[in-house]
Amino acid sequence: MKIEITTPISEETVSSLKVGDTIEITGCIFCGRDAVLPKIVRLIEEGKLDTLGIDLRGSVIFHTAVSSAGVGPTSSNKLEIESSIEPLSIAGVKLHLGKGEIHMETIEALDRNNAVYAVIPPVTALLNDKTFEQEIAAFPELGMEALYRLKVCRYPAIIAAAHGRSIYEQH
Amino acid sequence: MNSTDYIRIVSLVSDTLVKAGSVFREDKKEAYIRAINAETNGNAKWVLETILENANKAEENHSPLCDDTGIPHLLLEVGKYKAISGHMLDAVRDGIAEGLRKLPGRPMGIMGNASERLDQSGGLNPDSAGVEPAPILIRQCEENVIRLHILMFGGGPAIRAKTYRVFHKHDTGVVLDEIVSWATESVAQLGCSPCTLAVGIGRSHFEAASLMLQAQADGRYDVQSDLEKEITQRVNEADIGPLGLHGKNSVLATFMKIGPQRASGVRIVCVRPCCCFEPRIAAVDLD
Repeated sequence: MKIEITTPISEETVSSLKVGDTIEITGCIFCGRDAVLPKIVRLIEEGKLDTLGIDLRGSVIFHTAVSSAGVGPTSSNKLEIESSIEPLSIAGVKLHLGKGEIHMETIEALDRNNAVYAVIPPVTALLNDKTFEQEIAAFPELGMEALYRLKVCRYPAIIAAAHGRSIYEQH
Repeated sequence: MNSTDYIRIVSLVSDTLVKAGSVFREDKKEAYIRAINAETNGNAKWVLETILENANKAEENHSPLCDDTGIPHLLLEVGKYKAISGHMLDAVRDGIAEGLRKLPGRPMGIMGNASERLDQSGGLNPDSAGVEPAPILIRQCEENVIRLHILMFGGGPAIRAKTYRVFHKHDTGVVLDEIVSWATESVAQLGCSPCTLAVGIGRSHFEAASLMLQAQADGRYDVQSDLEKEITQRVNEADIGPLGLHGKNSVLATFMKIGPQRASGVRIVCVRPCCCFEPRIAAVDLD
């Protein structure tokens, strides 16, 4: 059974999610990857996130570029992306959306901050039909690697890490 | 070549690039259907069905299968009595640029001098056609044609591919063991599985990589050698599954090309874990 999730995501909703759950995400989500996420983390560490005028509480970060070709997950286990997961979770991000196995240290950090990691199939053509608005939220000079805000309807995903457990455990 | 022929080749190449980036070949669709029917893991089955649904949507819309639309890699086959000219190669290059704009390709050409291209400080070219194709590989073919294969290589498989020496100890099994070991590790890391493994074995890194590319052009999902079947089966035993979510279908098939070998204890092996959309390939006769 698919679980419908709407942003902003509440603490209670995240607490109820389990590894292996199939979800559909609706609402506004942020998109960023290797280039922009370390910049966001630096602002969080410097206490300057409010200079961007964005609120990460209850948010979703989708690890993707945004271009004329569409969107699709890049590997979340790339160094600059995976290392952003803990500080972004502390800042209020509740769902990190990408692909690939992440490390146990990251899974434990998600758990400490009541956040989860979900994988989304790289189905650009289908996601295009489920994306209704897009705008640059910060760092426009990064082009397709800027921080984007998308309005989406029923993005499909599977919970891959939650509450200290991972779907990849048997590997 | 007159201007009419030039324009015709540009158009053919452009349309073929769009096809490579947006259409699953029929044997690949059938391979997915077989995998869906055989899969017993619910999550894995859902991923396979979603990928096939995405392929049908991309074909219908002539739009990219994946947002990483890839770097064009070209294989040009030339029949015995055919000739190619520099002018024809110019037309191919213009056709690639036109196709990238039409698909549209992700604008990911890196601008700047050598150092700026390395650290990406020169910025991105906003034009999809700013992505230059890799050098063209040319080979002879039995048919008397000039045939261009266009392959779109994504970044994920490039990160996890490996070209290295294997000391074979005069035992084919040793080489296969190494391929299975590399592939199992890389497929688990890739994320975008089920994979198709492209393997080239030659005497140098260049030869092995070129054989890996040719294996993608020649390989068929419905025609598999015993060695290819063995590699596929052994990697699938690792229970990695589509998107790494477990299941029987980590790998759909293996496309392997074994070239001439050196009188030596070493083989140079190139293994590329092609993602769930690769090989993204289409071919066209230019003459």
